[in-house]
This record gives sequence, C-alpha cells and structure tokens, in this order.
Amino acid sequence: MTPYITVTPGERGSGHAHLFARLEARRSLKDIEPRLFPDNGGPENGEVVEIFGPEGTGKTELLYLLLSRCILPLSAGGLELSVIFVDADFSLDLFRLVSILDNRLHTTAPSGGPDEALLRSCLSRLLVLHCSSSSQLLLTLHFLETSFASRPDQSLLLIDSISAFYWLDRAEGRTSYSKQEEKLNKCSELLGRLLRDYKITVFATSSSAPSPSPAPSHSSAPSPSSAPSSSAPSPSLDQDKPYLCRAWQKLVSHRLTCSKSEIVPKMATTTASSLMGPKRRRATQFTVHCSSRNKGSRINHFTVTDRGVEFITELNQD
Amino acid sequence: MQRPVWSLPLSSAVISKLNRRGYQCTADIEHLTAGQLSTETGVKEEEASEVLDLVDHQRYPVSITALELLQREAELKPIVTFCSELDRALGGGIPLGKTIELCGVPGIGKTQLCLQLAVDVQIPECFGGLGAQCLFIDTEGTFFLERLREMAAAVVRHCSLLTEDQEQQDAMRTFTVEKILSNLFVVRCDDSMELLSQISDLPAFLSDHPEVRLIIIDSIAFPFRLHFEDLPLRTRLLLGAAHQLAALATTRNTTVVMTNQMTTRVQGEGSRLIPALGENWGHAANIRLLLQWIDCKRMATIIKSSSHMSTTVHYQINTDGFRDLSEASKRAKVQTEDQKAVGNS
Amino acid sequence: MVVLRAHMCPGLELQLVRDLRECVCNAYLCVKALLAIRRVLLAQHTAFPVSGADLYEDLLSSTAILSTGHPRLDELLDSGLYTGELTELSGGPGTGKTQVCFGVAVHIALHLKQGVIFIDTTGGITATRLHQMLQTESSSLEEQIAALQRIHVFQLFDVFSLLDCLCSLRRSGLQPVAVGGACVRAVIIDSVSAVISPLLGTRHTEGMSLMMQVAALLKALVKDFSVAALVTNHVTRSVGGAVRPALGVSWSHLPRTRLLLEGPDRSTHSFSSLRSATLIKSSRQPCHMRVEFDLSWWSRSKEVPSAKRKHS
Repeated sequence: MTPYITVTPGERGSGHAHLFARLEARRSLKDIEPRLFPDNGGPENGEVVEIFGPEGTGKTELLYLLLSRCILPLSAGGLELSVIFVDADFSLDLFRLVSILDNRLHTTAPSGGPDEALLRSCLSRLLVLHCSSSSQLLLTLHFLETSFASRPDQSLLLIDSISAFYWLDRAEGRTSYSKQEEKLNKCSELLGRLLRDYKITVFATSSSAPSPSPAPSHSSAPSPSSAPSSSAPSPSLDQDKPYLCRAWQKLVSHRLTCSKSEIVPKMATTTASSLMGPKRRRATQFTVHCSSRNKGSRINHFTVTDRGVEFITELNQD
Repeated sequence: MQRPVWSLPLSSAVISKLNRRGYQCTADIEHLTAGQLSTETGVKEEEASEVLDLVDHQRYPVSITALELLQREAELKPIVTFCSELDRALGGGIPLGKTIELCGVPGIGKTQLCLQLAVDVQIPECFGGLGAQCLFIDTEGTFFLERLREMAAAVVRHCSLLTEDQEQQDAMRTFTVEKILSNLFVVRCDDSMELLSQISDLPAFLSDHPEVRLIIIDSIAFPFRLHFEDLPLRTRLLLGAAHQLAALATTRNTTVVMTNQMTTRVQGEGSRLIPALGENWGHAANIRLLLQWIDCKRMATIIKSSSHMSTTVHYQINTDGFRDLSEASKRAKVQTEDQKAVGNS
Repeated sequence: MVVLRAHMCPGLELQLVRDLRECVCNAYLCVKALLAIRRVLLAQHTAFPVSGADLYEDLLSSTAILSTGHPRLDELLDSGLYTGELTELSGGPGTGKTQVCFGVAVHIALHLKQGVIFIDTTGGITATRLHQMLQTESSSLEEQIAALQRIHVFQLFDVFSLLDCLCSLRRSGLQPVAVGGACVRAVIIDSVSAVISPLLGTRHTEGMSLMMQVAALLKALVKDFSVAALVTNHVTRSVGGAVRPALGVSWSHLPRTRLLLEGPDRSTHSFSSLRSATLIKSSRQPCHMRVEFDLSWWSRSKEVPSAKRKHS
C-alpha cells in the first residue's frame, strides 16, 4: 500500500485550466510518418515507440526525422507541435537538426530560401532537457507532469536514450538485481501514468544490449557499424534481446529495430577503402524493421543524406 | 553532476554500508567527520577516514604546465648505450622516466644491450653518467655474470682513459668492477605469477632503494608464452603490468627496459616476423626498439616513440659490449664523451 | 492535484512521508511548507528545460572549430575539432595517435593562443617533443614559452584519478588552470583505453560502469564549458582481420567523430612516417573518407622538409 497525501493546490489558482488541458484532445501522432509504420499502425495517443539498434545504424537520424516533422510548420508539411527532448546521452546535434530543418523549409518555400525567423519559430517549439543520472530523469519526468498538464500542444516526448544510465544503475544497485532496476522501473511507472493521464506519445531510443557475459576487453560484443570495411554481420540474437526492465518493456507498443548494411559488395581489405570517395556514401543503406503490437510489421530501407532520412521506395534490393 | 560513491576506489562492503544509510554521492559525505561517518554507517573509523580522504579535494590531481615538464625533463640525463648512432637517434641515450621495449630474434643482442645499460647507468656523474643502481629481473636464465664483468671492465677502462681532474680521479677510485656488481640487484622469476608479483612489489623496492634508476626485465615475453592458454587474460595481465610499470617510470623518473621475443605471422603466401605477445601489447611501452639482422648487419630501429623519429642505425656487439659498427665512429664517440666530461666538470 | 508519495524525490522515504502526513493532519499550514519543499526539490534536481531556439543561439555564439594544424586532418574533420564534441582517434601501436595529439595541442596553444589540458595516462608525453614542434612553428622563444605554459599536463595512471581529475576540472570550471588569460578550449586524453581496458574483463560490470561514468563526466564537461575533447583509443582485430576501435559498443556511442589511424604496410623493412586516417563515424562528412598524412609534417623545417633530425 502506498501512503500518499492528497493536497489541494493552494496557490496555483483554480484547478479548472488544469482540468481542461487534460480533457482537451491531444493531437494524435498516428500519421507522423506513414512510411515508417505498418498501414494504419502509427502510434496512437499514449503509446510508446522504441527505436533500437547499435551505434551508427541511423537511430538518431530517425529521431531527427520524427522531430523535424513535428516542429515544422503546417505550411512545410509539419505538424506544428511542441516537442520535449530529454537528452540523456548529450547526443543532440543541433547543427545537424538545423540543417535538416533548413532543407525541409527550403524545398517547401523555394522563393528566397528559408526564413531565419521561420527556423527560429520551429526551434522554439523544441524544449531540450539534459539529464545526467537516472534520479534526475525521474525528477525531470515529475517536473514535466506540470508542463503536460498546462500545455496541450506538447504531445511528443523524445528520450535519447532510455538506456543511457544502464551501467550507472547497475553499479549503483550493487549486487541486488531489483535495486539495479529500481530507478528505471520507477521512471517507467511514472511514464505509464503520464501516458494514461495526458495521452502523450513517447519515442525513445535504446542502444543495443551490452554483452551479458564478461567479455574480454579486446573482443567485446560485435558491432557491425564500427567495422565499416567488413560486410556487416547480422546482429546476433543476443543483441536483439531486450535487456531493459520489464516495466519498460511492457510500455513499448512499437519497436523500430535499426540495422545497417553496405551495398558495395566487396570491401574486404581496409586498403581498398582509399578508393571510396564521398559519393560512396549512398552505399550505406539502413534498414528499419517496425513491429507494432497487434498491428503487424513493416520493413523499410533508407539512406542518410544532407536532407536527413530518405526512404528507398523500391524494395528490390536485398 | 554528482560523483556517485560507488565510483570511489573502496571495497564493496564499505560502499554498501554507505549506500544503505543513503549516502549516494560524494557531496553527501564531504562535510562529515570520520567519527560522524563511522557512527552513522557502522564502518570502522579508519575506513571512514579513508573515505573522507578520497573525497577531499586537496588530494585531487594537479596539473603542471608543459614548460615545467620541459624543465624537469632537461634535468634528467639519459642513459648512454655506448652506440653513438643509437644515442643520437634517441636524443642522447635511453631517456629516464619511460618504458622501453626491445624486440628481436634470439641472439640479436637484446640481453647484451640490457647488460650494457645495467653497467652504463652506474657511470659516475662526473663522467656524464647517472651514478645510479640497477635492478635486473631475469626470467629466462640468460643473465651471465662473466659477460657483465667483461662489460663492466670495459666501461671502467673507458672512464679511466677519460679521467682528467681531481673529482674524476676520486670517482675512479670507487668506480670498479666490484662496485658495479654490488650496485646491481638481480632477481630471478620463474613463471608469470612470480614476475607479476615482483612487478607489483616494485614501488616498495624503489622506496627502499631510491638509487635504482633502471629496471630491466629480460624477458617479459618468456614466462607468458609458455603454458598460457587464455590469451585475453594474458593480454589483460600484461597490459595491467605494463601500465603499473609506466606509472612507476613516470612518477619515480626510473627507466624500465623490457625485452620481447619475435613471432611469425603468416600473411598471404609469405610470413614475417613481428614482436610477440599480440598486437595490443604494442601499446605497452613508450618506446619500442626493434633489433634485427639486415644484410648480415645488426640494425636497431625505433618503431614506436612519441618523441623520436623512426630511425634505423647500425650497431655491433664485441668483447667490450654494445658498440658502434665502425671503429672510426667509436673514436668520434670517445671524443664527444671527452667534451661532455669536460663540459660537466 | 499534487500527490506526495514515497520515493518521489531522493530522500523522500516511506517513513518520512508517514511523518509528513501526520504533520499535515495536525496543521493545515504544513501543506504550504510541503509544497515549497517539493518545489525546491524539483527546482534543484530536475534538468533545466531550454528552448531549442535559445540553445541554437548559445551554440552559434559558443561553438568554435579548432584547427588541428594539419591541413589533411582538418579536411577529414570538416575543418577541425568542434567544441562541445568528443573526437576519437583510434589506431594500433605506432600509428601516430600521440603525435597527432601533440600536434593538436601545440597548434591550439601556439596559433590559437588557447589553453589545452593534456591528460597523459601512458607516460608518453615528452615536453621535449612539444618544444621541438613549437620550434618548427615559431622562432620566437617568448612565443614558445607562452605556448608551453598554455599546455597543462596531468599524468594519471588509473581510472579513479581520471575521475578525480575530471570532477575537479568540472568543479573549478576549468578556471584555476587557465593562467595568462587563455581559457581552456581543448581537453586531450591520451589514451583513454589504457586506463579503462584493464578493468573490462574480470570485474566486467564495475568496469563498464566506471567507463560510462568517465564518459558521462567528459561529455558534461565538454558541453558545459564548450571545449573540444580529443581522446585516443586502441584497436581490436576481428577474426576477419578488420580493425575496429576498442572498448566495445557502449563506448562507441560517445564520440561524435571517430578516426581510424593506420600505419604503413610493414611488410618491407622501411619504416616511413606516412600514415593514413579514415573517418569511421561523423555526422558531417561522409564516412570512409580517407586521407594520407605524414607524421614528419610536425617536424618539418622551413627550408628542407622532412630532413630534420632529432636533437635535444
């Protein structure tokens, strides 16, 4: 039994605005990126999408794609929504995001190029929070509750990444397994409540599982991305296995699994890579496998260019 | 951002006790006294003061500027090798405060160079030497006392030829072959465990013998190449040991010389000789010297160094020890030694 | 509605909440106090939300690109090291990682007149070499001395002292080391794997956690003070013979830009100072871009290139 006290907010005025905000329908993000999700299977209000994969497989690029779609104005094909970005990995590259936004704005408004003010207004719809520990993440989520309550236009919460504090928590929890997962469990519980009460949508990235057995330092878990010259080995089953706590697993309703492959067939020796010029960049093809709970799955291929993620429509490559 | 308590070098029992009482970060404990912490958490008073020492900011590492580092380096005289070409390539000799690895096939002269250095480090200061002592860790059983005696005699002879002023004459009176032998500590290690424990005992040894400025391990490879199945473990143990040696070398301004064997790597149709102990071991030493035969001549190459250009020089091994290839350059060497000695006196 | 529950904030344990509830029952006034406590706790410990527009504004004014001093490397890095980012150099033994670090330190201290923190974990730093590099760049002794004073060297040999060092740098805001009016714009760690890789293995979890703690501190330092970080890493060879940076997948997320340095083919007996650098991770440049560069570039003399010999 959890003892709690119910407190009537004393100095925050009436609870009416608060109540309204809650009742007012939040914008659904079902059509945030129709090309990514199975037909009619986009994330509903109150659902969680996990973007999962090892380093360099386009997770962050996908996140930028979704982020830019949300904060771009309606005129540029966006949704004009506010987004909260919880940056736990210190990985947000604002310059990259700006160049993606720039490109998108440019294509929709070719006359005179993108407007600086327009860009600023896009960026002002983005709210960034840096977290450096899981307790801070928990407190931040508590803090965000008030923000969600008062602003119905905030419908998307991005967390990059939810697995950032995995090892720190493991160390803090010492030998007790439940202690190790305690923080993330609490975060998940709270997130679950926020999802239920405020109908927000959550996108979170999660890096692939660390090797579960003590691996020797110089032969750690295979990461296809960091061996660019070899043909990418398929991720082992081990890496695909979810390793974050069950409470978090239960929240996730869509899972985007990212992987990377080189189309250029033979690139076995490192010396051959001297031949690679900038135009070979297109050779790197990313694959995202989307599996939604009860809604089937879908596989997409995309490349990354200056404009951000570009989907490959014909699926005849393998 | 706060520093969690678990990231301190403490035993897990102490960390658990601290965590149980809610002390999660260093900021929670830094204002306490050892007595308070001990009664609060139930750790022993000594442990509590150890914890408080760790969170004390006074203890945090301090930096020096590169200028101070340069001045310190200028005060450290290198150990001459008696091969003037190699000395020149190394900027005067084997530098103090670094770890040096000698790689080469059997018989190329690794042990010879080690013995030579063991004698050279003892050359009195008035002759431009260090006047220090040496520790020789022998793992292969290749330490030859007779050979050392020969080299020592050659060095004593060399110095006596150079003697000019009163100070040098005084120094020569005590600089004898017997003195050289008495300033050399020899330890025999038979297997990898003995070697590792010897290495971890080195800080204590150096505190007892502050005059030791050169530690020779001949060879580091031998005990680890026999009966060692678990290669990742081997790499880890070796790199750990090398790291301890590097720390020791830097903090005590002592030079560590290790010898390594060669191994064959098959590559395509052919094969070539590479230093043993695996690729990662290559990071271990600050300077790597490769001794090899090229066209029936002995050559020394600096293959890794952060402060020297990659250079290849000739050398030879004669009855006197490790020397220049040609007699002509040897004479030149004597002259430079002369000038050095004059400059120093 | 504000609900006060156990574990809501650190230190808010079950018993405390019970006591507080009693308090609330006894006197209505306590509610206000409780709310105040909650507000203070949230304000002090939550992350501070920043609007993207403000963040962009800040970045535009604080981001600098520090040239490495070597034109080929600058080409690869899209004109240099970016402040607020972590750049990694990985490579096998003798591939020139330390030389590149020295070159970068010298260039930043001499030409950009900014402070550099050099954390040496292998005992490999030699001020004599730094001085040599400075001599090829500048003939004025005062300039050389001033540049040497802008380089602050820490010699640390274990991960705990590295953590101590990063913590104290963070606490002091990089300031006390900044003498002579030059503020620190770059932190160089050579090498990060030398202190971390011995930990991974026997006590794997602990090692990983310490590694992530180092990473978190470093990233926070780099972001908060807008400095550039350059770290070096070892490499591992996979079964196929392909080379990749060490320290595994968890570390691989941290550096924004990664370079792989490779030495010349050693099949011959010649040891040249030619090295190649391949870009293996970048958010700005196409990956697999590769340049060749010469380590003797840093010891070039103005008249006779690469003929300079070592002297001390």
